[in-house]
Amino acid sequence: MQVLIGLRHYGADFVRALRINSVTFILFSLLCSFATAGEVKLYAAASLTDALTELGASYQKTHPGVVIKKSFAGSSTLAKQIENGAPADIFISADNDWGNYLLKRGVLAAESYKKLLGNELVLIAPVASDIKVELDPAFNLAASFNGRLCTGDTASVPVGKYAKQSLVSYGWWEAISPRIVGTEDVRTALAFVERAECNVGIVYKTDAYLSKKVKIAAIFPAASHSPVEYPGALTKNAGQDAKAFWDFLQTDDAKAVFTRYGFTLLY
Amino acid sequence: MLELDIYFKRDDFCLQINTIMDAPITGVLGASGSGKSTMLAIIAGLLKPQQGHILLDGVSLLNTADKVFVPPHERRTGLVFQDGQLLPHLSVRNNLLYGYRNIPPQERRFNIETVVGLLELEPLLERKPGSLSGGEKQRVALGRAVLYSPRLLLLDEPLSALDERLKNQILPFFLRIKSEFKIPMVYVTHSPREIEFLTDRWLSLAKGKLVLQDD
Amino acid sequence: MLTEPEWQALSLSAHVGLWATLVCLLPGIGCGWLLARKQFFAKPAFEALLFMPMVLPPTVPGYLLLVTFGSQGVIGQWLKHNFNIEFVFNWKGAVLASAIIAFPLMVQAVKLSVQMIDRRLEQAASTLGASPLKVWLTVTLPLMLPGILIGLIMVFSRSLGEFGATITFVGNIAGETRTLPLAIYSATHQIGGDAMAIRLIIISLAFAFFALLLSNLLSRRAEKWLGVHRAGT
Repeated sequence: MQVLIGLRHYGADFVRALRINSVTFILFSLLCSFATAGEVKLYAAASLTDALTELGASYQKTHPGVVIKKSFAGSSTLAKQIENGAPADIFISADNDWGNYLLKRGVLAAESYKKLLGNELVLIAPVASDIKVELDPAFNLAASFNGRLCTGDTASVPVGKYAKQSLVSYGWWEAISPRIVGTEDVRTALAFVERAECNVGIVYKTDAYLSKKVKIAAIFPAASHSPVEYPGALTKNAGQDAKAFWDFLQTDDAKAVFTRYGFTLLY
Repeated sequence: MLELDIYFKRDDFCLQINTIMDAPITGVLGASGSGKSTMLAIIAGLLKPQQGHILLDGVSLLNTADKVFVPPHERRTGLVFQDGQLLPHLSVRNNLLYGYRNIPPQERRFNIETVVGLLELEPLLERKPGSLSGGEKQRVALGRAVLYSPRLLLLDEPLSALDERLKNQILPFFLRIKSEFKIPMVYVTHSPREIEFLTDRWLSLAKGKLVLQDD
Repeated sequence: MLTEPEWQALSLSAHVGLWATLVCLLPGIGCGWLLARKQFFAKPAFEALLFMPMVLPPTVPGYLLLVTFGSQGVIGQWLKHNFNIEFVFNWKGAVLASAIIAFPLMVQAVKLSVQMIDRRLEQAASTLGASPLKVWLTVTLPLMLPGILIGLIMVFSRSLGEFGATITFVGNIAGETRTLPLAIYSATHQIGGDAMAIRLIIISLAFAFFALLLSNLLSRRAEKWLGVHRAGT
């Protein structure tokens, strides 16, 4: 009887000790996780969504405790957000204009600034369309399709700006510009063409590759627009984890992923 | 002449009346809760009793056994509420003419000038109900019901919201309606004084049951 | 005084706002009255569905509109085929987006005003020979007027600020769907566009202010017309 009582007391003590220790353990590991867990805020052009998501995921697998927080949008949107204080660690733009814009404003770590990738501009149509396009000023693009042409906003979004340049170079701009739907990023334009709300669109070749619902009607030659270049950099407040991820993006493994998605390498 | 034989039940309240009203003015005396407003609402067609029949001048307004129910807007019974119920967005003139405009011209027994003269409403005609006093509102309500040329005029405590002075001012108008317009009336009140002054015959209503009293 | 794009955005906002108000008028009165007065099967579900645009993030109804009224949508194809009406990428779609988002506001305002109507007034009218339809037209509807006015004002105001559903459903096209909120959005995305954004914001503020002032005056007028003492007060 005494023994049983004794055991019970011991049991109670044991449970209490266990409880106290568990709480301490949890608190301790939470503190540790704050100390070691890193968050990398990556702001990148919408066309990089799939490539960077894959790279982020594989990086997180090999670097537990680091979370890559991705924000994909039109480069114009991102640049404006960063300029107004958005806490980005890494910025990758789809054109040099927006990269230089932030560089001038001193928010980027200039030493890290470099051109990363290249891309091509393509004319797409819904997969069921029978449009035939000739890349020749004599060809009347405006007459070759009904309805609207979807691309990024031609005043601010990189893909839209490139699109305007190409349309101008073929002499098609005047006729087509009233029919253009300017979206806030390239993926929205792609989605509209997939839904056949727009019978024609201008997006990057890498975006067209990803979609089964659109087909490429023409690839704009590089001479018809400014070079499609993706500059990137760390921001001035980027921490160690961000720098580590940035270095990861320079590795051959990362480059291989970009190449697989159809980007050309400029670094 | 009104033949009334009804049974009405709602929640705990039960109204059972079987009577004939054929006097020029029939008074109904009862305290609040006795069922007098309910009775008038049933006669006017605003409430439907579970059982019963109503005959007005030989015309069947209600017969639950034969599934006859004449809707309120077809009964030609004018109802004057305790608080007038004047339409706030219409002028006094348009309130007066509201029912008048709903009956064919050949059935209009009275014209607006006569009624306005009798009820002394001339200075009020272009005003809105919101700017009228209690007594003025009741007179307009009365005039409105009369201009509808009803076969029967139902009055639900028309003076209870007014003070003594106004009551005394308006009471005579009912007699005028009886003598000059000759519209039969059922006058419901809790005031024995009004009953005495106005009515030829009166009944008493208590807890939903009728006790016949004569004068 | 105003540049071409600014004028375009302002007049488009006014145009879309007025049309959205018009679209919401009759259904709003109908639904508001129905919800206030009638009981019917699945009424709670119906009411919940009707008020959903109020609690959903606007991009959700915007996307649903795209799926149903777009060129591949069931209703969109039917309308295109039979009436040659298209919604995506044009102002009609912007009107539809604003109307759907603001509709609950109209219904709510009407419903409240109907609930406040003293039913004895309607009863009095019926004892004076007015058929149910006549009662509705000559008594109920006039007494609903302040509520209807407030509802219309809310629809117009909400549509002035409509962004999420509009940009998702009809895109951001100058002269077609670029209302003031979308124009401000575009301006803030352009290099050097901040000045224009500020001008557009000032225009929006002024527009909203005068719209509300006017509506306030109209509301007071209507209340006055109904008489100083409203039924039930």
